[in-house]
Amino acid sequence: MWVYEKKLQYPAKVGRANLQMAKYLITQYGGPDGELAAALRYLTQRYNMPTPQAKGILTDIGTEEMAHLEIIATLVFKLMERATVDEIKRAGLGGYYADHDKSLFYVNGDGVPWTAAYIQAKGDPVADLHEDMAAEEKARATYQWLIDLSDDPDLNDTLKFLREREIVHFQRFGETLQIVQEYIDCKKVY
Amino acid sequence: MYSPNDQMRLARAYVPFQIYSERLNPMEGLMKGTIFPELYFPYREHKR
Amino acid sequence: MNREQLCQLKELMALEFTALELHLYLDTHPTDQRALMDYNSVVQQLTIARQRYQERYGPITYGEPSAYPWQWINEPWPWEICYE
Repeated sequence: MWVYEKKLQYPAKVGRANLQMAKYLITQYGGPDGELAAALRYLTQRYNMPTPQAKGILTDIGTEEMAHLEIIATLVFKLMERATVDEIKRAGLGGYYADHDKSLFYVNGDGVPWTAAYIQAKGDPVADLHEDMAAEEKARATYQWLIDLSDDPDLNDTLKFLREREIVHFQRFGETLQIVQEYIDCKKVY
Repeated sequence: MYSPNDQMRLARAYVPFQIYSERLNPMEGLMKGTIFPELYFPYREHKR
Repeated sequence: MNREQLCQLKELMALEFTALELHLYLDTHPTDQRALMDYNSVVQQLTIARQRYQERYGPITYGEPSAYPWQWINEPWPWEICYE
């Protein structure tokens, strides 16, 4: 089961409302390398992991990704707060507005809805952990491109936090991969 | 666990294990996104 | 949210983050005694800080007592706070 904590993991600030950035940033909500994909990927892969360390790390990183999803939602919410329909139109978010008003929805920067095709659970723990390490690297790169796109130091402060988390997660998945490979090697020796 | 001295074999990825020594204080760790100085690799913004 | 509460909330975030970092580390290093001792001491501090915060500002998670009326639904919610 899961228990909600009524607090963010990080004090997520934005300097000013910015619809253009909201449009770009939403890809980390519902895009291919976003936080929803990360959370759902890890939490569904954990059932087939062979070692306790791997079950633990997928559960815990999957759970942390839910906290990151909430941070992204908070940032997009703050970036769009108080925007007028005219401003929304000018930022190219007219299509988004027609479908969702200013609600948060799981889409990428071009409005393409989230799909389970973004993720995989292969049943082969080595293959799955490689996917997870790649996912962390892709998310890290996405945060870098978002930082490049943004000129808001407050927003970038939170994006840098999230980027650094990808690096730590990569390290943990890498260590998990070593443990799992070693476990599989041992099993093959009779 | 594999140490760097072990024979590494082909067609396999290796990530060295972190060895915990010191950590940043809680607030500094939160601000940086990790409490582990050896895992802190900040992105330097540049003109692309 | 006033300065005092925001300050305490950030301290709580910082302690909880330290506990999480050590937690993830221990997942892949379950026999690292130093990390485990450090984790246990951080968790002790975190428990005290969380208790103090909730006594003043109401529950931030499930299974915590509430004053009247039901405090859980008190605003601001996490996405409504100005973290300045």
